[in-house]
Amino acid sequence: MAVSETFHGPEAPPLSVKNFAGISTLGVFFGTWTALVMAFLYIPIALLVVFSFNSARLNIRWEGFSTKWYEALLSNHVLLGAFQNSLIVASATTVLSTLLGTLGAWMLYRYRFPFQGALGLLIFIPMVMPEVLMGVSLLVLFVQLLHMPLGFTTMIIAHTTFCFPFVLVAVQARLQGLDPSQEEAAMDLGATPFQAFRKVILPYLMPAIISGALMSFTLSLDEYIVSVFTTGSQSQTLPLKVYGMAKVGLNPQLNALSAIFIAATFAFALAVHFFGKKKNL
Amino acid sequence: MKKTTLLLSALAAFALIGTTHAAPNKNLNIYCWSEYIPQAVIDRFAKETGTKVTVENYASNEEMLSKLAAGGGAYDIIQPSEYVMEALVKEKFLHPIDRAKIPNLKNIAPQFLNLAFDPGNKFSVPFMAGTVGIVVNTDLIKTEIRGFNDVFKPENKGNIVVLDDAREIVAWALLANGMGVNQITDKNLNKIKPTLEKWLPLVKVYDSDSPKTALLNGDVAVGVVWGGEGAILLNKNKKFRWIIPAEGSHMFIDSLAIPKAAKNVESAEEFMNFILRPEISKEISEEFPYLNPNLAARALMTKKELENPASFPTDEEMKKMQLFKDIGTQASEIEEIVTTLKAQ
Amino acid sequence: MAGFAAPTGVAPPPGGHHRAPGLLAWIILSPLLLWLLLFVVAPTLMLTAVSFAERDALGRIVWNFSLQNYFRAFDWVWLKILFQSLYYAFLTTLICMAVGYPAAYCIGRAPERWRGILLMLVMVPFWTSFLIRTYAWITILSKEGIVNSLLISAGIFTEPVSLLYSPFAIVLGLVYNFLPFMILPIYTSVEKLDNAMIEAAYDLGAGPLRAFSQVIIPLTRPGIAAGAMLVFVPSIAMFAITTLMGGGTNPMIGEVIFKQFTSGRNQPFGAALGTILLLVFILTLWLARSQRMKEE
Repeated sequence: MAVSETFHGPEAPPLSVKNFAGISTLGVFFGTWTALVMAFLYIPIALLVVFSFNSARLNIRWEGFSTKWYEALLSNHVLLGAFQNSLIVASATTVLSTLLGTLGAWMLYRYRFPFQGALGLLIFIPMVMPEVLMGVSLLVLFVQLLHMPLGFTTMIIAHTTFCFPFVLVAVQARLQGLDPSQEEAAMDLGATPFQAFRKVILPYLMPAIISGALMSFTLSLDEYIVSVFTTGSQSQTLPLKVYGMAKVGLNPQLNALSAIFIAATFAFALAVHFFGKKKNL
Repeated sequence: MKKTTLLLSALAAFALIGTTHAAPNKNLNIYCWSEYIPQAVIDRFAKETGTKVTVENYASNEEMLSKLAAGGGAYDIIQPSEYVMEALVKEKFLHPIDRAKIPNLKNIAPQFLNLAFDPGNKFSVPFMAGTVGIVVNTDLIKTEIRGFNDVFKPENKGNIVVLDDAREIVAWALLANGMGVNQITDKNLNKIKPTLEKWLPLVKVYDSDSPKTALLNGDVAVGVVWGGEGAILLNKNKKFRWIIPAEGSHMFIDSLAIPKAAKNVESAEEFMNFILRPEISKEISEEFPYLNPNLAARALMTKKELENPASFPTDEEMKKMQLFKDIGTQASEIEEIVTTLKAQ
Repeated sequence: MAGFAAPTGVAPPPGGHHRAPGLLAWIILSPLLLWLLLFVVAPTLMLTAVSFAERDALGRIVWNFSLQNYFRAFDWVWLKILFQSLYYAFLTTLICMAVGYPAAYCIGRAPERWRGILLMLVMVPFWTSFLIRTYAWITILSKEGIVNSLLISAGIFTEPVSLLYSPFAIVLGLVYNFLPFMILPIYTSVEKLDNAMIEAAYDLGAGPLRAFSQVIIPLTRPGIAAGAMLVFVPSIAMFAITTLMGGGTNPMIGEVIFKQFTSGRNQPFGAALGTILLLVFILTLWLARSQRMKEE
């Protein structure tokens, strides 16, 4: 779409020669830096994948190659079930957080609500509040005030509460640079505010929404303390099962699980990438 | 015609789903420590009795307490340590157990029954016990270590790992000063303050979850850790030595108990009896090498397991063991003392 | 151009885009409002209420009004820990900014097809369990780990250095875990820069370095500000990483509060500490915003 393209920083005509040399040195520097950052991010990941093939149970020193943990993992219904629960909770949380965060950011940007300032402060509270406080107070809220049974619903609500501010902040930052005339132009051409939002604003916000969603998913997947207080026995997620494992040494099956999940995610991402590439042709 | 067939098949499908998912009448909800009851044991119980068992884990007694106190979760079995048991019994939080339904209780060594925190075992059966002791990496420390005062010497500065447990640390200081672990009064706390001020700056790592990590990695050379951790280290490498401190030490006993709000007391008692079977108890010990109070189970264990000093102290050492009593509100003061000294 | 504008949600954009909300707008906003009221405001009020209560031997709350917890909380011991946590959070934010900006810039300027994959690459390591990640770092940095082996074989040191259980390890752990939360927001600001803008920046005559620092960075300020908030704020109460990597010798405010709910058996005191933390934070935020509003 022509309008949305302007917001996506398209591949414009190449830079002029006189700037090229200076920019390309900078470019090399940045490229190397990014590669180093990626390496930094993946050092422990590489180690944990290597150690998933460690024959030792106590996964602190390397003792030999073995695939037994992968085999054991396939029959470990507890761990796999917990992982599945984690994915369910994280996905639901991401969807809810993205909705709340995006709509919230847009509404606060576009309209002047009477308590704008207070809202701006309130959204930071779940971020700064120590998790144990949030967990305990939500537990009391759920059990004693709302009389809800603990389980998936309570966990998803709890996770969403501290995830959506991340989406909101990310989208707000992107809104900062929005040219208001774009929306007005669209409406001048006959679009309703809804259509203007859907066809002009939303595509513009996409990178921020995706960033927010990625952050939500990540936060929810690994959340321990809040989950402790808001989970029921059927909704045990992976961090809950894993946390006490350190007592006898983290089971290398965990490494295997992580390795498989990372591989699957990469495979999926590459598939989407190549499928998208084909579509463009 | 088509619509009716569709409706009928839908109903049939529902009926099928209904029967396959007909939950067994019995549901058992266990709230216990992580890595304490092997999954195989739980699966075997579920299969044998046709009970559907769900397990929820916690990483500390107080985590369990705060969730229970806030009204969360209806659990049939909980697994408190001895000082928490005492508090729970006092606050009438527990459902009494029917000893007649748990005949296997006779397998437990008498020294683990009828203890102060639950006289007559009206509310609990012992699950596992354990000690706290000293582990030394003899490759790095050549001098002999006999007790707390040998560990906390200036030359060991930056080479020590201890449990991140204020109650434990204070208990050791009390023992080193010739007092009992439960003699926690303001006066005594003031007396041991100099000891703590001397000891804590020497500590490199505080870790209650996996102190063996720092020892195995060579980042520290000596530690005061749980018996289970010690047993794992000893099994791992001969260079580690286990010592029960000469001044005495803490022995913990974890029990199985039934909260008052439990929905399925019958299955809970069935489970307790199941755990106390010799072969089941042995299986638990094999996976988690703690102090097994079950004599019948010990009879089935290998010599190597029984001779692991971190799992099974000698009779001499047992005499020096002390159980924790509940100290109620003073827990907070102890926390503050240790935190203050850590932050300096 | 305004500094910490958007993340705190008040700065009117140039052109005054704010309108009075109509009924529809209120309806659309209501889910968010309800959510905030029910799951943020209510629990926070409960928390504040608990902070004025006492507790019994089992650690349960006894509803007698008492200022005891606050008297106890305003002690240098706790305040020192609070300030230390703020300090580490601040340091982490600065380092994340420095380390993360170039990477975010690179990803934002990469060919469009690759941006999604690069973002995923940044995020995916954190879809593993945080425990195994942190234990992996412990293995790497330990005295018998890879880093020490490399340092010794390269001749830089003759004996293994204690890298773990130190402020260095704490900051490393924090920066590692929060880096994506700096990179992603900055990316969203970089992504909308187009070549024309950048060309113009360099055309202004200064060398590439000055063009970058004086034009491009300010253009991406909202992203930097957002990243700073998304790293600084959550890292204040973070303690699991600091305890594992730091060895527990530097207690953080998050840990102290957590302990009040567990071994300390003093929930009201923990609630008081938490309320103080919230107040300090809200005050700082409010001051920063009114300062900025004055500037405009």
